[in-house]
Amino acid sequence: MTTNNANNNVLIQVKDLTMDFGDVHVLKGISTEIKKGEVVVIVGASGSGKSTFLRTLNLLEEPTSGQILFEGVDITDKNVNINLHRQKMGTVFQQFNLFPHMTILKNMTIGPMKLLKKSQEEAEAEAMELLGRVGLADRANAYPSQLSGGQKQRVAIVRALAMHPDVMLFDEPTSALDPEMVGEVLEVMQNLAKEGMTMVVVTHEMGFAREVADRVMFIHDGIIAEENDPQSFFTNPQHPRLKEFLSKVL
Amino acid sequence: MSAWFEDLKEQFILNFIEGDRWKWLLDGLKMTLHIAFFAVILGIVIGVAVAVIRSSWDQNNHKMHGLSRAVMAVLNFISKVYLTVIRGTPVVVQLMIMYYVIFASSTNARMVATLAFGINSGAYVAEIFRSGIMSIDKGQFEAGRSLGFNYIQTMWYIIVPQALKNVLPALCNEFIALLKETSVAGYVTITDLTRAGDLIRGRTFSAFMPLIAVALIYLALVMALTWLVGKLERRLRTSDH
Ligand SMILES: Nc1ncnc2c1ncn2[C@@H]1O[C@H](COP(=O)(O)OP(=O)(O)OP(=O)(O)O)[C@@H](O)[C@H]1O
Ligand SMILES: [Mg+2]
Repeated sequence: MTTNNANNNVLIQVKDLTMDFGDVHVLKGISTEIKKGEVVVIVGASGSGKSTFLRTLNLLEEPTSGQILFEGVDITDKNVNINLHRQKMGTVFQQFNLFPHMTILKNMTIGPMKLLKKSQEEAEAEAMELLGRVGLADRANAYPSQLSGGQKQRVAIVRALAMHPDVMLFDEPTSALDPEMVGEVLEVMQNLAKEGMTMVVVTHEMGFAREVADRVMFIHDGIIAEENDPQSFFTNPQHPRLKEFLSKVL
Repeated sequence: MSAWFEDLKEQFILNFIEGDRWKWLLDGLKMTLHIAFFAVILGIVIGVAVAVIRSSWDQNNHKMHGLSRAVMAVLNFISKVYLTVIRGTPVVVQLMIMYYVIFASSTNARMVATLAFGINSGAYVAEIFRSGIMSIDKGQFEAGRSLGFNYIQTMWYIIVPQALKNVLPALCNEFIALLKETSVAGYVTITDLTRAGDLIRGRTFSAFMPLIAVALIYLALVMALTWLVGKLERRLRTSDH
């Protein structure tokens, strides 16, 4: 039994989550808790279901069965307005997915203005402050196509932050980047973690997992095959598949 | 040579100056532009709606449930019937059915014709626009939904503006086609540009001048529009954000 106190610290609770695509069983029963302020890194082989898991957390994919409690509300319930809860869950994609027909500033203000009903002045002031934090204030009026990959991903991160989310979900945020740009994005994420943001990060950057994660999760065969603090996870893996996986990526 | 020129001048005066018959052409042109303009607007409204219904059904029907699924299934079915019927029959037949059957009690031929051409154009716009929506990366949609926008908001703020930009040249070509198609409006008692030329021919018993004049006016309109489309395309390409 969890005490009331412990419950208050849990931001996302996943219960027996399964996901089938046709007769392919991608997730076969995932249960876990993500606490406020926690940084959880998810690793696993290609095709193991990492993205699928992350995407079910904000219901971009609708799970086949199981529950996801976000801030105490079961968001898999059909009667829940998922749009309101998604506002509290920032998502950063591998392919950035900035809106190409809007300036950087517009990319960042459209959500706060249309959804949080902020005034243009307020939304823009906040956006400029966020852009300043990632060193891109001078690109506010540029279009996404005029930015480098690393710059685009930094904008994507602050675009999500402009909604004041309670958790940030990252799906391989650096995998589409040229190697020399990986660092600038990881640095932004690391600062975010330091500021206490709750983060769930799918990544192949083992250095990031080791340094920033509070917990590392290994997804294999549709379940969490192993999870641990980074120290134990990397130095003392138990699952034979994890040992094999680590020997390949480290 | 000068006899030939004299003859031409005589013909010109007979067909256009006498009885102010050039005004017939001008009024016909106004009618043509009026019908084409409002039909284009109607076509865009219908086309965008049908395209959004068709593409959201194709992309998301497996995710829909209950009542919304039933509503969308019906809308999608109606859209498909609409597309099949409109694209499978000649526009002049549609126009006559609208005027003599569906709106038989109406005396406002111009409005009925505008409706008929708009409904016709909507089917072609829908297919152009659907290809535009389908060409937008699905990550754009997911990014919109992830920010917390609902389906309609995501379509409106994120997908539709990009799709519209992608298909603008194709849309313009559809409007050029529509402008020319309105030339059958005479079948339902409307004096458009084509009918005006024909009326002059009937009055003066000379076919060459009025019909060539009508052809030249259409040609000038189409060339002007084509030039505008080309300019637009170049603008879009250079500012390709
Ligand atoms: N929409 C879908 N329809 C059918 N199958 C899917 C769909 N999305 C994912 N899959 C399948 O589910 C499995 C898990 O995919 P997922 O993208 O979650 O893996 P991943 O761990 O993120 O892999 P990667 O490291 O390559 O990104 C794969 O076998 C994939 O083919
Ligand atoms: Mg993935």
